[in-house]
Amino acid sequence: MTEPALRTENLTKTFGGLTAVDNLNLSIPSGRLHAIIGPNGAGKTTFFNLVSGLLAADSGRVFFRGRDITGLKPHKVSRLGIKRTMQIKSVFPQLSVAENLWVTRYAANRFLHPFRAASGDLETRERVEKTLEQVGLTTLAQRPAGTLSYGDVALLEIGMALISDPQLLLLDEPTCGMSPAETERAVAKIKQLARTIDIIIIEHDMSVVFEIADHITVMAQGGILASGDSDEISGDERVREAYLGRPEDEDYVEEAIHA
Amino acid sequence: MMTPNVIARAMLIAFGVFLVAVPWLIPLILNKFWVSLIAEIMIWSLFAASVNLLFGYVGLLSFGQALYFGFGMYGVAIGVATLGLSFWPAFGLGIFASIAIALVSGIFAVRLTWHYFAIITVVFSLIFYFFAVSVKSLTGGDDGINFALPPIFSIGGVTGSFSDADFQYFFILATVALCFFLMHRVIQSPLGKAFVAIRDNDVRAALIGLNVYQLRLIAFVMAGFLAGVAGALFAFFGRYASASYMFYHVSGEAVVWAIVGGAGTLFGPIVGTTLFIVIRELVSTHWEHHALIVGVMAILVVILAPKGLVGLWNEGLVRWGARAKDASPRTKTKLQTDP
Repeated sequence: MTEPALRTENLTKTFGGLTAVDNLNLSIPSGRLHAIIGPNGAGKTTFFNLVSGLLAADSGRVFFRGRDITGLKPHKVSRLGIKRTMQIKSVFPQLSVAENLWVTRYAANRFLHPFRAASGDLETRERVEKTLEQVGLTTLAQRPAGTLSYGDVALLEIGMALISDPQLLLLDEPTCGMSPAETERAVAKIKQLARTIDIIIIEHDMSVVFEIADHITVMAQGGILASGDSDEISGDERVREAYLGRPEDEDYVEEAIHA
Repeated sequence: MMTPNVIARAMLIAFGVFLVAVPWLIPLILNKFWVSLIAEIMIWSLFAASVNLLFGYVGLLSFGQALYFGFGMYGVAIGVATLGLSFWPAFGLGIFASIAIALVSGIFAVRLTWHYFAIITVVFSLIFYFFAVSVKSLTGGDDGINFALPPIFSIGGVTGSFSDADFQYFFILATVALCFFLMHRVIQSPLGKAFVAIRDNDVRAALIGLNVYQLRLIAFVMAGFLAGVAGALFAFFGRYASASYMFYHVSGEAVVWAIVGGAGTLFGPIVGTTLFIVIRELVSTHWEHHALIVGVMAILVVILAPKGLVGLWNEGLVRWGARAKDASPRTKTKLQTDP
């Protein structure tokens, strides 16, 4: 496949006087797990919002496998196979875990039957059971999603991404708020997924990024600061100074991250 | 085994049997007036269900459902009095009119959410209220339109008509029950699950591929249908239509009924509507400030039972069921460890 999974051309988004994404030209090839890192305010989540249609770009274009998706509504982008998780975990709190998966699976259908019982759909039900097993939430299937622990909600989000058969998955800090054990489980899951699905991941946890990413793009102030594999990025002097900080100066790291 | 499900089903059957028995039972206990009051409560319950479908299942708080109720009423009254239609075409005209106006106003209204949505629904209903009051030649203005009842059917010598009180009661019961059954089916269907997903989290709903605008519009038109059927029934029931039923005060009452009864539950609107209309009937003859009771109860329920009376009852049932489940294995283990 020569066509990149995702490509942007001069993508720009400003909020008032702040340029969140600044003339971004990004080409993300298919078949590799791509990570986007950068300090807070670098424009990473805004970039995801522009791709998934939650925000409209001021200028520039977005291409998904060569197809121009600029300005499409979120549900249209979703139906093309671009699925995402949210940085602030976002599920349907009053639906049960199983229903969350169920409705996600069903949402891709153009026609929602108004009178047939939802519970009668065997194929979808089996798929829900399978996904529950995959993310390890089988025992919590009937619990309202709003009562889950933060880590379980994050797993449910991954399950919701899974069950919709994505072609391109945008993960916004998937391990944020997870315990070390949950993080390990999620990382294993993401690695396994990356074999069949194109994944772009925003992550703050550097150990996770260096473990799973084939390619890393460093964003700062809405633009690309550096791009390369983990060795290149960890060796890049500009990245170290702008983002990672000097290892001997821990306070500096804190400052850079919370800037 | 008395599980919560069994109890809920038994109550539903008992409720159904009671409703069917009302024309014989109630005159024995109370008097004929209460039969027609129960018929009226059923109509208003259906109207409250229309608020409930929007607020309880899609998360849109409409303060303008009286508009669709009023269109249902006027469709019937104008159909019978002006166009000379018989029963069924007039009934159909009322329902069609409310669906049509719900579609037109919905196209604008469901672009908005929360207070903006609430405000635009009020504005729409006010516009048409003042329109109905001012166009006297069509609507009769404040006086409304009175009309003579057309028969519903006439086979051989037997005619069915609302002038027969029992027939009227059963016709209303059957129509309202059918509407509640349809709503139940919708809630359990894929469409209904999509509604609830939008209510819970509309951003997420769009991200999983649901067309939020289109689904909200579908719900809005369905709610217009429910309100329209209620309005058409009420026109036949009262033999007239009046602009006063399009005022937002009527919409507001339905919102209170639905919320106190339990928004997001199928039977909440019935419970809320019954409670408040019965209180009104019992208290208003003795005390003119019965609205105070309504206000205090609404405030108490919203604070103490956010899911309404039916929500409170359901929670109680679930808790009771869980306790019963916990209790039975414990006794078993006791038997095993203590031979």
